[in-house]
Amino acid sequence: MFDATIVLQILWTSLATATYYVLFATAFALVLKVTRLFNFAQAAIMTIAFYTAFVGVQWLKWPGWAAFVLMMVVTLAASYALERIGFEALRRRGVSVMFVFVFTFIVSEFIAYLAMLIFGTWPQTVFPMIFWPVTLVGNIAISAWDLPAIGSTVAAIAALFAFMRFTRLGQFMVGVADNPDLAELYGINRRLVFLLAMLIAGALVALGMFLYGTRAQVLPQTALSLMLFAVAATIIGGIGNLGGAVAAAVILGVIQNASILVIPSEWQGFLLYVFLFLAIVFFPNGLRLPRRRERFGSATRKIAGEEASTPESRG
Amino acid sequence: MEYVYGIIIIVGLYVVLATSFNLIIGYGGLVSIAHPVFFALGAYTSAVLSRDFGVPVLLAMFAGMVVAVVASVALTLPTLRVSGDYLLIASIGFQLGLLEVIKNLRFTGGPGGFTNIPPFLIRDFGRESYVILVLAVTIAVVLLVRLIARSDYGRAMSAMRDDEQAFASVGRDAMWMKIVIFGLGSGIAGFAGALYAHYYRFITPEQFEILQSAAILTMVVVGGVRTTWGPVVGALLLQALPQALTFLHLPPSVLGPIQGLLFTGLVLVFMFVRPQGLVPAENVWRDRTPRSRTGEGG
Amino acid sequence: MTGVLEVKNLNKSFDGIVVARGINLSLTAGKVLGLIGPNGAGKTSFFNLISGVVKPDSGAVTLAGVSIDRLKSHERVRHGLSRTWQHIRLFPSLTVLDNLLVGTHDYPGESLLSVLLAHARLKQHDKIARERAADVLGRMGLSQVADALVSDLPYGQQKLIGVARALMGDARCLLLDEPMAGVEGQSYAAMQRVVRDAADCGVAVCVVEHNVGFIQDLCDEGVFMFSGAIMARGSVAELIRDPQLTELYFGH
Repeated sequence: MFDATIVLQILWTSLATATYYVLFATAFALVLKVTRLFNFAQAAIMTIAFYTAFVGVQWLKWPGWAAFVLMMVVTLAASYALERIGFEALRRRGVSVMFVFVFTFIVSEFIAYLAMLIFGTWPQTVFPMIFWPVTLVGNIAISAWDLPAIGSTVAAIAALFAFMRFTRLGQFMVGVADNPDLAELYGINRRLVFLLAMLIAGALVALGMFLYGTRAQVLPQTALSLMLFAVAATIIGGIGNLGGAVAAAVILGVIQNASILVIPSEWQGFLLYVFLFLAIVFFPNGLRLPRRRERFGSATRKIAGEEASTPESRG
Repeated sequence: MEYVYGIIIIVGLYVVLATSFNLIIGYGGLVSIAHPVFFALGAYTSAVLSRDFGVPVLLAMFAGMVVAVVASVALTLPTLRVSGDYLLIASIGFQLGLLEVIKNLRFTGGPGGFTNIPPFLIRDFGRESYVILVLAVTIAVVLLVRLIARSDYGRAMSAMRDDEQAFASVGRDAMWMKIVIFGLGSGIAGFAGALYAHYYRFITPEQFEILQSAAILTMVVVGGVRTTWGPVVGALLLQALPQALTFLHLPPSVLGPIQGLLFTGLVLVFMFVRPQGLVPAENVWRDRTPRSRTGEGG
Repeated sequence: MTGVLEVKNLNKSFDGIVVARGINLSLTAGKVLGLIGPNGAGKTSFFNLISGVVKPDSGAVTLAGVSIDRLKSHERVRHGLSRTWQHIRLFPSLTVLDNLLVGTHDYPGESLLSVLLAHARLKQHDKIARERAADVLGRMGLSQVADALVSDLPYGQQKLIGVARALMGDARCLLLDEPMAGVEGQSYAAMQRVVRDAADCGVAVCVVEHNVGFIQDLCDEGVFMFSGAIMARGSVAELIRDPQLTELYFGH
């Protein structure tokens, strides 16, 4: 029923479209790892990123690269504001985790309604056209969008991992994630590191929305479902494990796109919620691979809220 | 007059929704945004059963409530087993996912909505009877939640919010308690949904979107979490504002987003400026002296 | 004779760190057993394992002859296993009295149905529970603070209330995590008296303490723990005299 070409074609396309999922998931997982926040305000940042690019290209008639730069600047500014005005104030007040959850979620909704008011409730794209010229390689159609998307995503993720592994600042960031109090002892500035994580996440999200918006239509509410996908990938990948989030995002992206072969297209969107639910119920601490990597284990337990969160549990 | 009745009914139902949500998020400390979906489940169950399966309306309404409770358990049982933190995430997925299902199914009328829902009471006893019914339910729900909050159960809820592990270490089952609180709140929302459906006789999935989550959350936060009158004040105020907006004769495409901005913006302002809400919390477990305690009924 | 609580070959490790290494222990009714050992010896972990807060990797625990391995934390409490916490963990938004009332065995306020329907039963239970709480507080010399918020009280009194709360649950076996640390003066004497009273009523008590002096004041017998394993059991005086144990304790 499915011949090899069709399967390969779908696999390729799924892989290409998994790029933005990877970026969203990495951003979400990074903020969660470093600041221990489920940052639902990421959807707000995503919405801001997309509509800035949209305004640059469609209203200001700027070339694509200029709109991209504008989008980056605005997105980073928004991330900066969110961290400095929002999260820092809440941290200072020492509010509960639940309070922050609600705050981030409401911020996203606020921005979505703002976008609705300004840009209306019909779908938009960055460029007027979302169809890209296609080259046949073998029998597989590879669009002009695919390779730049994969290339820029791989480059961005590689840069992030290199940054965390080889630079002093990046290592600090991981240090804070593993043990905030210890990091403080060594004189690592937590404020700076939290801000840095938010900014990096903002940049990843902006790139992701640019890719998404040049290939698919965006509504003011789109960012929320895209973010939920990132949440599912983050949980399945194992909280605190960025590599796991990347892998989970690729796999979920491919599954969702390839599902067109077996389920009706109107139910494809529903698959996201199934992922999310399965992730929470069956893999709350991530898919455990046989080889245990335990560097981030303590962070995982803390967030998952198991008993080990109390200081006395190890007596 | 019909206009006034409509307003009384809608305000009453929102008081019910906000009060039951206050039970969940305030007293239970269970953060969820999925309250509108239980409202929707009640509305759809009752509508479908009474129109297409010939079930008497009153019975269908209770069935709506039962379905909402069962659905709430389907949400809380698996997610709370893991951790309370995941409830919010799961509730977002639950809310959006179930609406997606309603939109894609045929017997719910799909995205176009479900029409021609049989009316209740109005034909035999006039619109006033329905207004009285809704008001009675509203008062009953407010008093019920107040009673629970001030009872021994309320004391236990307070302890559970304080420290769940310590709560378990004195022999109390936090998990079961959360499921019960969430189920009760959701069941009440489901019944409110049924009351809505049989008065307006038309429902669409759109009415239960995240805008509603934001609206109900705003009513509780702005009114005052963990208070009897906070959600009531919040619901009155936040229903009055959009009503006032409709007098501006804005096009629907602008009205929706403006309402949304209003709701979410108010929550943000209140979170930073006045987290306690308009009605300050009457911490029943702090202020009671032994004397006032013995003089009290329950 | 078998003890009230029997622990057989209990093992647990976190990410390669062993906190319980083949622990066998028996607690006897009417006796106070002290658990001594340096920081990180696994004393609190042992309590967490028995009270069901943490799941062991292997091993068996029976309470009054009944296996409690599969029971959840709160169910173990209902079978008669009460504990306190090193960091007290009272309910800060409740008064002292309410803290105790929530901890009563078979608290009817836990069931929504009984709260709404069984008013008479509720009243009756409430009366008994209040008398009981008043009695416990009276013995601790805390009657006058019954209606204070627990967070307003000094540390020593909070520790006492933690123990009082655990006593409300009709425990057969009581696990006290550092009940004496930070407790001074009157509260110290009251604590000593209350723990002793509980044992005299037939409760098996197990106390975790760092301070050997407290153990001496409080316990009939001691167990020395090191690195998740029980090294020795005997009278407190014997344990203190043992040069090997002293070396382990202070050399660590």
